[in-house]
Amino acid sequence: MRRAAALLVALAPAAAAATEPAQANYMLHCMGCHVSDGSGAAGKVPSVRDSLPRLVASAAGRRFLVQVPGASQSTLTDAELAAVLNWMVRTLSAAPVPAAFRDYSAAEVASYRHAPLVDVSGTRARLLSPARAGG
Amino acid sequence: MSRLDRIVESMARGVARRSSRRHFLGSLGALLCGAAVMPLLPVARGAPAPAAGPAGADPGDPGSCDYWRHCAIDGFLCSCCGGNTHSCPPGTEPSAITWVGTCHNPGDGHDYIVSYNDCCGKASCGRCLCNRNENDKPLYMPFASNDYNWCAGSQSGIAYNCSTARIVGRAR
Repeated sequence: MRRAAALLVALAPAAAAATEPAQANYMLHCMGCHVSDGSGAAGKVPSVRDSLPRLVASAAGRRFLVQVPGASQSTLTDAELAAVLNWMVRTLSAAPVPAAFRDYSAAEVASYRHAPLVDVSGTRARLLSPARAGG
Repeated sequence: MSRLDRIVESMARGVARRSSRRHFLGSLGALLCGAAVMPLLPVARGAPAPAAGPAGADPGDPGSCDYWRHCAIDGFLCSCCGGNTHSCPPGTEPSAITWVGTCHNPGDGHDYIVSYNDCCGKASCGRCLCNRNENDKPLYMPFASNDYNWCAGSQSGIAYNCSTARIVGRAR
């Protein structure tokens, strides 16, 4: 809640200073559906706030975040996509980010990005299933 | 029964002793007059809440399709439909799911990130159709296309009324 309030405060005077580039790219490429704080729309767009810290805890989840169509097929460059993902993980996660989390690099994003994800929903459900909750 | 009579009688006499018809009429008059004057008090009624906007100049008419914030809009302008550039008309609900683009403000030379939240839940407004679609991509590029009914993302269903143009950030 405090995070959401801080985000609102951060957005309110947005016009005064230029928006940080990773956040600006989040706004232009992701926010339309995931909304400003990543909470999505119940029943329509899943919230990333809970799933981000859980997904980055595993190598498969880390890869999934780059491979989802909205990320891999966006018009962002590999470096821009890496910066947006790092910003999202550190800013929108509702739970503490795993201490072992390392920032995505452009090269890492490139290596995942060109391997298409065939079953998006199925992969997501498997990665976030309770059996894997321990990470 | 006579006891109830006595109680009522003593109350009525008490009221009669303590009050007068003139006093009652005076109070009633003040009440009616006060109630009539209340809506005239200088309160900012219906004044839009200040939204995040450009720090400097903001040239143009928000009710016009040519207004700079409308560069990527596709729909009826809420400014012509009982709302304004950043709030929905009464009785409609803003869709959380939106089309986001950037527009150049000729007033201060900066590019702003604009969120075109649709207002949903009532039939099409039908006034001030504006279809400028700057940077809109065809539907085969689904993540960069604005040709959706964004009201599908609202709780009130797909009835589309009009579109707002809210500034959410400033691009570099």
